[in-house]
Amino acid sequence: MAEATIFANQTQTLEPFKGVKKVTIEEYFSSGHRTCQGCESALVMKLMVKAAGPRTIVLGSTGCMYVANTTYYSTPWVVPWMHTQLGSSGSAALGTAAGLKALMKKGKMKAEPINVIAFCGDGGGADMGLGAISATLTHKEYNSLILLYDNESYANTDIQLSGLTPYGAHTTFSPPGTVKRIIHTRWKKNVAGMLAAGHPECRYVATVCASYAVEMMNRVRKALTIPGPTFIHSLDPCPKGWDYDPMLSHELGELAIETGIFPLYEVEDGVVKYYGKTKAIVDGRKRKPVREYLLKQGRFAHFTEEDLAYFQAKVDEMWEKWEMPGVVAFRKQPGAVPSVN
Amino acid sequence: MAHLICEVVYRGIFQKNLASRITRGIVLSARKAGRWGIAFGRYGDSPQRNGIPAKDFAIVADSKEELEQHMARYEPKELHVTICVDDTLGKGVESWAWYGLQPINRLLLPDGHLLVTSTQSPDDLLKDIHTKDSPYHLWILPGKASFGGLWVYKEDHTEVRILGALAKIAPQFLSIDAVSEAIREAEWGSDLKVDSARKAYERIESRPVRITEGNPETPYAFELPRWWEMREGVTIPSLPIGKPIEGTKGYRPERSTVFKKFSTRTMRPVIDFDTCVKCTLCWLQCPDSCFDVMPDGLYDANMESCCGCGVCEAVCPVHNCITMVNEAAFEDNASQWEMWRRDKDAYKVWLTEKIQDKVHVARSHGFRYRGQYEEELASGSDLGGRPVTEGIPGENAEEKGLPSTVHVHESASIVTGIPEAPGA
Repeated sequence: MAEATIFANQTQTLEPFKGVKKVTIEEYFSSGHRTCQGCESALVMKLMVKAAGPRTIVLGSTGCMYVANTTYYSTPWVVPWMHTQLGSSGSAALGTAAGLKALMKKGKMKAEPINVIAFCGDGGGADMGLGAISATLTHKEYNSLILLYDNESYANTDIQLSGLTPYGAHTTFSPPGTVKRIIHTRWKKNVAGMLAAGHPECRYVATVCASYAVEMMNRVRKALTIPGPTFIHSLDPCPKGWDYDPMLSHELGELAIETGIFPLYEVEDGVVKYYGKTKAIVDGRKRKPVREYLLKQGRFAHFTEEDLAYFQAKVDEMWEKWEMPGVVAFRKQPGAVPSVN
Repeated sequence: MAHLICEVVYRGIFQKNLASRITRGIVLSARKAGRWGIAFGRYGDSPQRNGIPAKDFAIVADSKEELEQHMARYEPKELHVTICVDDTLGKGVESWAWYGLQPINRLLLPDGHLLVTSTQSPDDLLKDIHTKDSPYHLWILPGKASFGGLWVYKEDHTEVRILGALAKIAPQFLSIDAVSEAIREAEWGSDLKVDSARKAYERIESRPVRITEGNPETPYAFELPRWWEMREGVTIPSLPIGKPIEGTKGYRPERSTVFKKFSTRTMRPVIDFDTCVKCTLCWLQCPDSCFDVMPDGLYDANMESCCGCGVCEAVCPVHNCITMVNEAAFEDNASQWEMWRRDKDAYKVWLTEKIQDKVHVARSHGFRYRGQYEEELASGSDLGGRPVTEGIPGENAEEKGLPSTVHVHESASIVTGIPEAPGA
């Protein structure tokens, strides 16, 4: 009987942590990683598997969380982990989930729900792996979670531009000059919103930030308890690429939320729910000015008042003109007649 | 036929630009004296990580052929000069792609030279620096570690002062005139920097270190498996799950046996256990899982995995409960919690002393708000006794069309003509 339920996408039972004191004490991602001082992505890894628990398989696509975490013969992972290619976190998640299901069905391993989590950086997830993630999110019969840890650049290979690098940031591909100050003029992709809008079979998409650790872990737990593919987008301050004192990692995560640059929300069965500080902002709380966030980072050190004003205007637009603040960028046609059914 | 091999040991990213300027400066100075040279980084240290030790090298030779002979090696294994630009690295080097702890003086040839930028005395430094089986010379360039970050470079003359000192150490390869010429013409275009190099040349002194002197501890090491001992494929055994402490509710996560972070930090947390409210935030927010949960519910920072980022201090809600203190102020990696349990009064005295150790406490890697860098430069007098940074216009000022006497504060906030609207 148990086996039949496994084949029907049974997931583990993971109740949300009710407060910080209830958080699991065990670490499934411990020391031995060779990340930077103050690496928020390492924290995301730690919290992610802490939330998922011991019966979990983690797949990592190439990026700093792969290279720094498994430099020859050392690893911080307690749970099984496998490296997968840069663009294939989606394929790896799907394949592993399908493989586990097949092995259980054939009786080659004990039938039990095992969490499959594939993580990818913004380069692997939002640029080259996007197609594979999109495909995975259409396969509703396999349980997997894809976690995009977004440090807004290719941070492993010395800070190149990615599709998620914010407007105007200094990277090795967009160094500010004296004649042309802003080299990177594109606005950041809206990955979570895009994937939520475009994948009707995917029942859960969320954005998280590790500065709000318990809320983040509860989103991971929820994603793992919802059958089928799920997706989480995490914003990770990166002391190397963003050029700030490592001590500020936590604070910059909070500022990204409080300024409204990175809204926290979850889309469960098509229903958008804001949470945390973002919910307060949607309910009318004032957003902090973006300059508080931007001027703490060396990558925006070349910004003038004009650039700050432009950045602020773009964020304001996201909150005031979008169909759903920070989530869905569609706007109504001015003067359009409402459709009649 | 003669050659000189130097390495610069530095904190990755924070001192990346500083180190590359030093090694480049060595080569350019050697070229001014008609020699050949090459500057390069250690392959295994790239991509670099914030604060993690890394190395750059410079080789100077009398002839092109001799230089090529040394370039053929993967990386130098024997050195004439080691330049250490952060004195907390005196405890050894454990780079992100390195195994075990390498003493800072390990690659030095007999009678080699170790040059350290530091505010400490030679005897204090030698408490950290491991003993060596051959004598060498210790040179101290007075000054704090110069931390610049990736995009912002701190122009506090550390690089040229090291070049000046090197001219004293190896005059047969880099004369002070060649160094001055290289600084003036080839690279930095500043007479002020030439002065700094010359002052360092005049003032720097060495102290011989005997084989009995130094930290007698055996550096942390381990055996890597032989190829025939490895498992099929590229597999690495995962860490075992951590265990409760002696049947209590305390918990210590299992830690990597091959990578300890003994030298990856410039600061470490000291904890006032008497004021701790057990809020769990340091434990929860530490990216390195460095906090052990003790049987009484307190959190003990374990120095095997502390990277020194300071997030614990930032998230701690109690004033002065967790304070980051310069790593140079510590001689061992022992548990603070056990020290506190043994003798709470003595711990309080120890803690108060560490926190008030102002010479060592202040050590900022990057900058915490815009303008801090300029402020630091404007008020920046290092402990060498003179304001080294006043009026620096930036490198190659004339070529960039910047006025050469303008104050840094003004010249650094570059707001030039805006050719087009942002986003256009």
